[in-house]
Amino acid sequence: MHTLTPQSLFFFETIIYASVIFMFLSKKNFTAIFLYSIQSLVIAIALFYSSFKIHSWSLMGIAILVLLVKAVVAPYFFFWLVKKHRTQFSASTFLNGPTTLIVLALLTAFSYSSFWQSLTVLAPQSGGALPLALAVVFISIFLVVDRRGVLSQMIGILSLENAIVSFTYITGLEASAGPQLGILFDISVWIGIAIVFASMIYRHFGSLDTSEMKFLKEE
Amino acid sequence: MVSLGSIAIGVSVFEFLAVLKVVLTVIKNGAYNFYGSLSVDYLGAVIIMILVLVSAMASAYSVGYLKIEMEKKIIGFSRARQYFILLHLFILAMFFAIMTTNPMLMWIAIEATTLSTAFLISFYNKPSAIEAAWKYLIINSIGLLLGFFGILLFLYPFASGGFQGLVSWQALSAGAAAFDPFITKIAFIFIIVGFGTKVGFVPMHTWLPEAHSKAPAPISSLLSGVLLNVAFLAVLRFKGVTDLAIGQAFSRNLFIFFGLLSIVVEGFFIFIQKNYKRMLAYSSIEHMGVAALGFGFGGAGAFAGLMHLIYHSLAKSALFLSAGNILLKYSSTKMENVKGMIKVLPLTGILFFISFLTLAGVPPFGIFITEFSILSAGVSAHPLPVIIALLAFVLVFAGILKHVVMMEFGEAREEIPKGEAGTLMVAPIIILVAFLITFSFYMPEAARILLHNATLNY
Repeated sequence: MHTLTPQSLFFFETIIYASVIFMFLSKKNFTAIFLYSIQSLVIAIALFYSSFKIHSWSLMGIAILVLLVKAVVAPYFFFWLVKKHRTQFSASTFLNGPTTLIVLALLTAFSYSSFWQSLTVLAPQSGGALPLALAVVFISIFLVVDRRGVLSQMIGILSLENAIVSFTYITGLEASAGPQLGILFDISVWIGIAIVFASMIYRHFGSLDTSEMKFLKEE
Repeated sequence: MVSLGSIAIGVSVFEFLAVLKVVLTVIKNGAYNFYGSLSVDYLGAVIIMILVLVSAMASAYSVGYLKIEMEKKIIGFSRARQYFILLHLFILAMFFAIMTTNPMLMWIAIEATTLSTAFLISFYNKPSAIEAAWKYLIINSIGLLLGFFGILLFLYPFASGGFQGLVSWQALSAGAAAFDPFITKIAFIFIIVGFGTKVGFVPMHTWLPEAHSKAPAPISSLLSGVLLNVAFLAVLRFKGVTDLAIGQAFSRNLFIFFGLLSIVVEGFFIFIQKNYKRMLAYSSIEHMGVAALGFGFGGAGAFAGLMHLIYHSLAKSALFLSAGNILLKYSSTKMENVKGMIKVLPLTGILFFISFLTLAGVPPFGIFITEFSILSAGVSAHPLPVIIALLAFVLVFAGILKHVVMMEFGEAREEIPKGEAGTLMVAPIIILVAFLITFSFYMPEAARILLHNATLNY
């Protein structure tokens, strides 16, 4: 369904890839939230472009909702959460900096490996964008696993969702408006529930660092 | 509380009667269709029947359970009201997941179960419950997103052909023969890893013991006894499509791998457990592994695997509800603090013991038959997995027997008052165990037809 050229697709995916890499490098929660909103904005712009090109009102509606929910409302609530609990700095990671970079490089190399080459049949004209989208999927999961902060984990999951949406955009796999709306509604509810849980976690543990959660021990 | 409970029980009775009508229609006509948007086939009928029976019992039990918790001032009335709202949202989401004709909507419904149960798991607002709920939310969200990715790969041929609407299971199956084999394999791997996280397959299971043990007892019975089945149904539906596309060998091998891994790993955890609710949770993972092994072996193994899901749901639900009675009486989930159950809670103790024997695979109960049938189905083509599974079953049996004997017998502390908590705390367990024992010895012909047709393609 998308109408971007291979170069534009690769550029679009590179921005998303760069945003998730910078999420790893950032020390501040504000930076991570800003990078997530950039990711969501890029996806919304791509959807807007496609909707203009193919004259689809339903796709334009979806693009507007993506912009509102993921690029505006969700970051707004995340900023509110950070200010309320004064957690400007993100929690530490389980792996140190150099090891993290090595893992990121390995995940990117894995997505470009011959194992995944056969997936290019989904989008033969996409250039190098498809393996990059796959890399963002793996790296987003690693973001959830490696970070100790609740907010980082939330952003990791939302980044994973953005990665999957970008993969579907590259391959032209966007489903019709109905399921897209359902998924957006689902994500909206998820964000709301996750924010409520984050507040509950802060209230009980005095921190948004998951390493403070030590109550679940084998009895 | 009385009117809240009456509404809950009344709704459950209505659901039970409605589903009974649906299941009878399926047995007679092969399927139940509701204006084309909702449909129940043979396999869906089995899962929905389990859902309605367990949810009815859990609803009824919840009335008595929450009443006692309110009397003990553990929760207030507003929490009880929130509980029933979330409980029925949870049940509604599971109904929709089973009945929807569209894989994407099934995904949304299963995601909805995650969102509704997250608050139920953290119901008591304790640090450990919140920690368990957060782990549940994060791990299941990742799993379901990977499952979503798998669904999109399955839908690729339709989207690339310009199809704009909702693709049904029927359309997916009809077009399966033309799917690209490699993409189908990758898609199914994402499905089994993604939805398998929800099922609790090892190694994606790490959220399950905490979530199932920290939730209120009736919710644990629904999580273990029904939700795992609904997620398993999702995997089975995609297995059916994969088998049509590339043959049965690939999906069967994956089922055998995850099934065996779950059985062996959880066998060890069951043996060393000190907390009875966690032990029940680990047992759920083990039994989902057994069912997976059955579908992995195929043929008679698949039939036995589906029977195994039924028996496991009945036994595990009864056990978790019994665990609720034990917790209210002993105020502890540690097995070392629970002694002399057979004297303190005579009826619960007996029901607990029977259900545990069933779960351990003791003859002549149903789970013994299904485990024996599954191993028999696989012994000629897969002797090594069968031997490993058999050894794991022995370990599970030893572990469960050790724990149950310790809890049932011995001298209880004198300050613990003897006697059951009330009819609503015991009657649902009696009904579940009655179904369990009846189905262990007698299978109505209609049920046999249902189960046979449900596993015909597996």
